[in-house]
Amino acid sequence: MTTVPSLLLIEDDDAIRTALEFSLSRQGHRVVTAATGEDGLKLLREQRPDLIVLDVMLPGIDGFEVCRRIRRTDQLPIILLTARSDDIDVVVGLESGADDYVVKPVQGRVLDARIRAVLRRGERETNDSAAFGSLVIDRSAMTVTKNGEELQLTPTELRLLLELSRRPGQALSRQQLLRLVWEHDYLGDSRLVDACVQRLRAKVEDVPSSPTLIRTVRGVGYRLDAPQ
Amino acid sequence: MTGRVRRWAAARNVMTLSLRWISLRLRLMLVFALVALAAAVSASAIAYWLNRDAVLTRTQDAALDDFRKSLQDNTGTLPLGPTCQELQAAADRMAATSQKYEVLLIGSGEGGKACAAPSDRDLFSLKVVPKSLQAAVNRERRVDDSNRYAYHLYWQRITLDGKPYLVGGAKVIGGGPTGYLLKSLENERADLNSLAWSLGIATGLALIGSALLAQAAASTVLRPVQRLGDAARRLGEGKLDTRLRVSGTDELADLSRTFNKTAESLQKRVEELSAREAASRRFVADMSHELRTPLTAITAVTEVLEDEADNLDPMIAPAVQLVVSETRRLNDLVENLMEVTRFDAGTARLVLDDVDVADQVTACIDARAWLDAVELDAERGIMARLDPRRLDVILANLIGNALKHGGSPVRVSVRTEDDALRIDVRDHGPGIPEDVLPHVFDRFYKASASRPRSEGSGLGLSIALENAHIHGGEITAANSPEGGAVFTFTLPRDASGLAEQPAGDGEGGK
Repeated sequence: MTTVPSLLLIEDDDAIRTALEFSLSRQGHRVVTAATGEDGLKLLREQRPDLIVLDVMLPGIDGFEVCRRIRRTDQLPIILLTARSDDIDVVVGLESGADDYVVKPVQGRVLDARIRAVLRRGERETNDSAAFGSLVIDRSAMTVTKNGEELQLTPTELRLLLELSRRPGQALSRQQLLRLVWEHDYLGDSRLVDACVQRLRAKVEDVPSSPTLIRTVRGVGYRLDAPQ
Repeated sequence: MTGRVRRWAAARNVMTLSLRWISLRLRLMLVFALVALAAAVSASAIAYWLNRDAVLTRTQDAALDDFRKSLQDNTGTLPLGPTCQELQAAADRMAATSQKYEVLLIGSGEGGKACAAPSDRDLFSLKVVPKSLQAAVNRERRVDDSNRYAYHLYWQRITLDGKPYLVGGAKVIGGGPTGYLLKSLENERADLNSLAWSLGIATGLALIGSALLAQAAASTVLRPVQRLGDAARRLGEGKLDTRLRVSGTDELADLSRTFNKTAESLQKRVEELSAREAASRRFVADMSHELRTPLTAITAVTEVLEDEADNLDPMIAPAVQLVVSETRRLNDLVENLMEVTRFDAGTARLVLDDVDVADQVTACIDARAWLDAVELDAERGIMARLDPRRLDVILANLIGNALKHGGSPVRVSVRTEDDALRIDVRDHGPGIPEDVLPHVFDRFYKASASRPRSEGSGLGLSIALENAHIHGGEITAANSPEGGAVFTFTLPRDASGLAEQPAGDGEGGK
């Protein structure tokens, strides 16, 4: 990486915003901040950051709504900052399209590690491609096409599909996927995997409610199958 | 003497005990039946005896009067010393009256030969007449002022071939024949029998009536009692809004009113208490939330301070270190407080995943650099469906506690028992004093007042226990016979059944 990734931090509390900006800048990130969701969306259009760190509790439009609005047009990674770890927030956040989340109070190091892990997901790797029925994964171009049409996948969704496609027909546990895709430790939240699989199915499956490509393996996890 | 008293007391005890076993309904019916029976039987008996006496006396008086007159009339016309034929004719004549009795005339006949003339030869002979009666009839009495006749009319009731009869006899004064009558009392007996039957049936009906009455009375008394019992049970089950409908002004209505008043004040009190408790819980929850915001800002910058500690003035560095380490402790404390408030509010949720238990235990020990101090006895491949984060909290607290208070080596063993998982954490310390053992899971409980408070938040084991409970599991603390404390954690291998109630979600990883 030659260019320094730029982050957009949307957080309403002044102290937290200042502290996180300070901490992340020290970790070598370029940080732009916004105090409200509206300002954040405006800055997103102007600055085109590589990643967004988004607080859930915002005055005006809340973090979930910001997340949903971004996802309508953009596939850039979003990390949620949840203060209330009332767990329903996490689920709503993941459903509205967030890639990862951290719970306040968060240590700067942890947030930095998450940011780097999310950004790594978009990096290219080996030059080959694989086809699963009408789905073609081009690992050199980092694109996925279905019936010749390019799919808009977030880096996390793409990475998940890549990890699954690297071991076709083999079931991967949620814990394994959390390590491979999210780079979480052994306490990773399996709901991240479930939410991401749901979003991925919505994009790659013909009928998302009865998946033929990404299958659930009961008691284990998920598996990518080539359609018969 | 004392022995007898004791026996009597024992008998009384047995009686009251057996009475208590009989239901109120049965007791009421029994009392009603006894009263009805006593009343009916005494009334019937009195009626029967009065009736019997009246009937028999009337019949008997009529027969005897008729006989006396007839004897006088018929024997008066007889010649002195009548022949047997004449006596027979007289007897037949006498028997032919409306009173329907048989007559036996005994005459001395001609030549002093005794002659018996019965109106019915088959039935009536002198043999039928009891000897005592014959003797009384034939006895001659002295005539004086109080007794004007030498002979009297005597009677007696006898039974012949199972049938009741009236036998009477008199001797005609002045050497006349002796006359006996035999009057069947069959009709009177039949009448009295039918009367007895009617009285019996009436008694029976009275008994049935009393039973029905008792039933009705029992129902009117017992239905409210049963309602009261049901209401009390519901109240006991925690349905504090249970109330009784009060009708009437009797003792039971009074009881119902008292019940309602009690239930009302109980409900009010419980509501007050739970409102107060909810308020204090909300306060703790709000407070921990509010603490989080400044803590987030502080936490984000403490690392910067920590990184720079080496470059700082050596006089200031320890102060910075203290701020950093105490911020972490404050973080842990707030985190634990939030966890506790979630359990108290019932909002704690399971985030289930299928995990290899041995891997999780190893990772937990490894993440805290405890590998050297912990002996792990667990086979890989034991899969369980549980919340990995909560398992980690439980293990970290149990093992951390064992290391802190017991000292290494700490032995952790993982076993399966049917559908359950059993994890034992054993230390080699002095064990837990017996008086502390029941309190080890209490919040903020310190084994001794002198122990410094810096050893932990005081919530660890309590949170571990709550985490076990939410999995449908349990943690028990005991002292091993070989020394040292043993914490045993059991939980079902599949906690899905517990997590299905609300939408499954838990707290995120950190």
